[in-house]
Amino acid sequence: MASEATLGSGRRNWLPSWLAGDTVQGIRRQRMVLGILFLLPTLIGLILFVLGPIVVAVAMGFMKWNVFRPPEFVALKNFARLFQHDLVGNSFSNTFVMMAMTVGMLEVFAIALALSVHRFARSRLAYFFRTVWFLPVLLSGVSVAVTLSYMFHTDFGVVNYYLGVLGIDKVPWLVSSDVVRLSVSLATVWRNLGFTFIIYLGGVSALPQEILEAATVDGARGLKRLWLITLPLLSPTILFATVIDVIRLLQFFDEPYVMTRGGPGDSSRTAVMMVYDTAFANLEFGYASSISVVLFLIILAVTGFQFLLSKRWVFYQ
Amino acid sequence: MNALSRREMIQASAATVAAVALPGSVALASAPSQDNITLRLQADPRDYQEVIDAYAGVAPNVTVEPVSVTGIDHAEVATKILASLAAGTPVDIGFAATEATQLYAGEGLAMGMKDRLLDQPDDLMEYFSDVSPVLVETDFYEGDLYQLPRDFNAANMWLNTKLVGEAGLEMPGEDWTKDDFNEYAKALTGLGPEGDSFGFAWNNGLWGGWLPWIFVNGSNLLSEERVGGGEWLWDTFYADDPNAAGRGGGFRWPEPQANNAANVEALEHVVALTRDGYAPSVERGFAENLSGFFAADKIGMYPGGGFFTGFLQDAGMEPGTYDAQFWPWWQSQRHQLGVGALWILIGGSEDAAWDFVKWHTGRDVMEMIGFFRVTRTTPARRSMCTAERFPNVSNWNIFYDTVDARPDTGPIPAPVFSIELTNIFTRYTEVAVSLEQSPQDTLDAMQRELEDLYARNA
Amino acid sequence: MTVINRLSTRRRGDEDVVERIPDWMPRNAADWLAMAFMVAIGMLTIMPIIWVMSTSLRTPAESFTVPPEWLPEDLYFGNYLQVFDEIPFVYQMGNSFFVTLSTVVGQLTTATLAGYTFARLYFPGRDALFWVVLATLMIPYQATLIPLFVIISKVFGLADTLWSLILPALPTAFGTFLLRQYFLQIPVEYEEAAMMDGANQFQIFRRVYLPMVAPGMAILAVLAFNGKWNDFLTPLIFMNTTSRFPITLGINDLQRYMMTGSISVVLAAIVMATLPVVIVYIFGQRYLIEGLMVGGLKG
Repeated sequence: MASEATLGSGRRNWLPSWLAGDTVQGIRRQRMVLGILFLLPTLIGLILFVLGPIVVAVAMGFMKWNVFRPPEFVALKNFARLFQHDLVGNSFSNTFVMMAMTVGMLEVFAIALALSVHRFARSRLAYFFRTVWFLPVLLSGVSVAVTLSYMFHTDFGVVNYYLGVLGIDKVPWLVSSDVVRLSVSLATVWRNLGFTFIIYLGGVSALPQEILEAATVDGARGLKRLWLITLPLLSPTILFATVIDVIRLLQFFDEPYVMTRGGPGDSSRTAVMMVYDTAFANLEFGYASSISVVLFLIILAVTGFQFLLSKRWVFYQ
Repeated sequence: MNALSRREMIQASAATVAAVALPGSVALASAPSQDNITLRLQADPRDYQEVIDAYAGVAPNVTVEPVSVTGIDHAEVATKILASLAAGTPVDIGFAATEATQLYAGEGLAMGMKDRLLDQPDDLMEYFSDVSPVLVETDFYEGDLYQLPRDFNAANMWLNTKLVGEAGLEMPGEDWTKDDFNEYAKALTGLGPEGDSFGFAWNNGLWGGWLPWIFVNGSNLLSEERVGGGEWLWDTFYADDPNAAGRGGGFRWPEPQANNAANVEALEHVVALTRDGYAPSVERGFAENLSGFFAADKIGMYPGGGFFTGFLQDAGMEPGTYDAQFWPWWQSQRHQLGVGALWILIGGSEDAAWDFVKWHTGRDVMEMIGFFRVTRTTPARRSMCTAERFPNVSNWNIFYDTVDARPDTGPIPAPVFSIELTNIFTRYTEVAVSLEQSPQDTLDAMQRELEDLYARNA
Repeated sequence: MTVINRLSTRRRGDEDVVERIPDWMPRNAADWLAMAFMVAIGMLTIMPIIWVMSTSLRTPAESFTVPPEWLPEDLYFGNYLQVFDEIPFVYQMGNSFFVTLSTVVGQLTTATLAGYTFARLYFPGRDALFWVVLATLMIPYQATLIPLFVIISKVFGLADTLWSLILPALPTAFGTFLLRQYFLQIPVEYEEAAMMDGANQFQIFRRVYLPMVAPGMAILAVLAFNGKWNDFLTPLIFMNTTSRFPITLGINDLQRYMMTGSISVVLAAIVMATLPVVIVYIFGQRYLIEGLMVGGLKG
């Protein structure tokens, strides 16, 4: 009777015979039925609230629509226009530059933080730092806008004030087209580091200590150990985090929107800001949709490429 | 296409969008019942609750429901209005500032008021006698009137009198000039408790950005002309008002002229202020903080209208340390202004909506509106602009005199595509004020993009 | 487990003495380096937040100082009181809680089930479906907002209700992806053992796998809570009635007063609105970290 109390209640056999778990086929059928049932809530929700609107948005990419008048089919005109539109090309290249800077800093800092805090894993100190680093993630866009625009102001900002104390000239953080992409990326790193860090913390906590210790005994220490042992062991997490961060940051919107509205000029204008302004300021919903479609295809390609590449560097135990 | 069918077209257009996603599931909103009417009014309940409660006594069968459409800027509000139009659940009475007046009128969404005004002219005689024709003219579009002005703000100049005194100067007079302004900007720089004040600061937008300098330099961003056809109103309500002479049926902006000589000169003027250190760096995300720095004695002069009165009170700025003056003379002293008012959406409830809007112009009603209590904006009614409304502002009279004594004052350019226009204007301005491109080159590029904009909207 | 058992051996005279060193003490150069890095990032992270808090405790007239003052001189709570005058703060916080908690519970359910399917249950077309789910992350939300609003209001008639904020947020591609990765890392041997014991597939999910992905669910809960709590654009478009606004819109209303009011009031509202999220995180973190210590994330 003891087995009844554990996992053996399947023996009660309340399942119909074609689902019985005592044949390989029955198990396969069980999995299929369960799989479909489990997916249903997500699928129904996605179809209604996500795929539905996406299909409409994609369809709009082939139309001209300003909300006031019925949509008008224009075939590929929107796409032809966007490939000649400098502003669109410029916003895509800004997006890539800022994405690369931001993801680069995010992954390096987040891994370093996760490895560092792991050294003090169970202490109150670690608890304190984990809370502190996560705080910016908890702030809303408005607060970040207020705070960071203030910090980075050329004449009134804190950053330049302290640089001035160190004898460094004022840096035009948000008004120089050379510097602004870096400033916005820094702000984004500030706000998102906690998010990426949490993901890495999970990965680092799960590192098999036996292997690490064995490596140390074998003489792998310091950077060598990090490079040859720790990072490869962490690679599945790195894949997940970079895929998610790249997807999120190719859709960069909040920070540049609130800090610069894409300026000065167009130097920090991102692809999604282009979508937003085209739709809601210029009332060209069709054209905006066509830009989203192109952005979507690019993100899809980049993600696919990351997975493809991951076969070469991601190490599964 | 007449106006009524235009609304049906919008419904149909939204229906098309829904139909693409889920064919056959579209249901348009049913018509409101006739005996009890609900009017959806675009207003913040904090400001309008008292008005709405009072109306319940006036028209018991009409329920006014406030719909909060708030946004930090005009584009945010427009986004929301568009979404509600697309979903077929718009308001019955909307609010539009000058930026959106022509958009709603031009798209055939707003009800023209001409017939109703001429039908019962006596009802509004008192209202118009209390409202400057300068304000009324901005609410015309192609000969018809779409709104009755509620409030307005022109860009005047606010001065921190503590800094003015520290510099050994007096408040400037009404006729001060751009050169006087430059002297003030210089003199008010480097003062204050930490000795780090800036003489002047401004933020980059259409209203109150560097557009006021364009206006006083006798120019405009777009060429401006008067449309004919407003005589019906001027002859009926403003027969005796000299300020109504020569007015027409609304403004039109036929073509861009961003890079004309006067505009280049105006931009060079503001760029020099930043370059020479009399004005701080102009940054978008920081705009809301500047007024706070004015209150904290870090900025000597700042553009603002009557609305700034309430802010400075809230900010706790000491009475007697600030005052306002006209914008300085250059080629003219023509101010730029924006007017806010309710508009009526075509869609079946026009009669009830008109009754409300007409009632709402009454002075006793306007006195109930929350934002006039703390003076977060300037009332369109002259009789409401009193010393009590603008406490601690010695020159409070200039707010209404901007339209009464300077009747050439006019609206910011706001064609149907004003949101995109604003974006182009501010984007290029940034490049010039960050000293990365000369004013001439910047405005040449701005002009090219504005020409594209016009071509696309032709 | 060198990291966790922080016992250190030191030679004193002829004998080895085992001394207990506090677990937060750095013991070698690498530890010191890590500590310095953690402190540096911690300072950079927290300075702006300290500025927000201290400014919210200053009178409007004292809010604007260069250099900034990091500590408020005399605590001024007037800004906090004013928030309650300007917006229906309590209502709006209640709305935010209702919307956020419903969304978190809903997302945990849908994502756990779907993530399990994509990791452990096979049926034809499953992997293609996974890519479809992942692809939904890649289209800019801003482009689908108007069609979504049309569907919400015309098909479901839910515009201006809290449900319009909850329902569309229940399916989560990110959460599905995250939990799939967690399920994938659990060794299949557990499952095989359970099957030997005669458990059916649902029991295997319920009793073997579900307890083991608790850390993943904790992470999803924290991130979902935070994302929904701070959601701004969706309610901006969907909601009209002030008393049904979530607090993000309330703060937006307040911010309008920055042009005609004071930044310290806005910051006071931000502090009050952020506090619940911080508390959720501080309490949630215990479970989160405990969970993370047991198992981690692998691809």
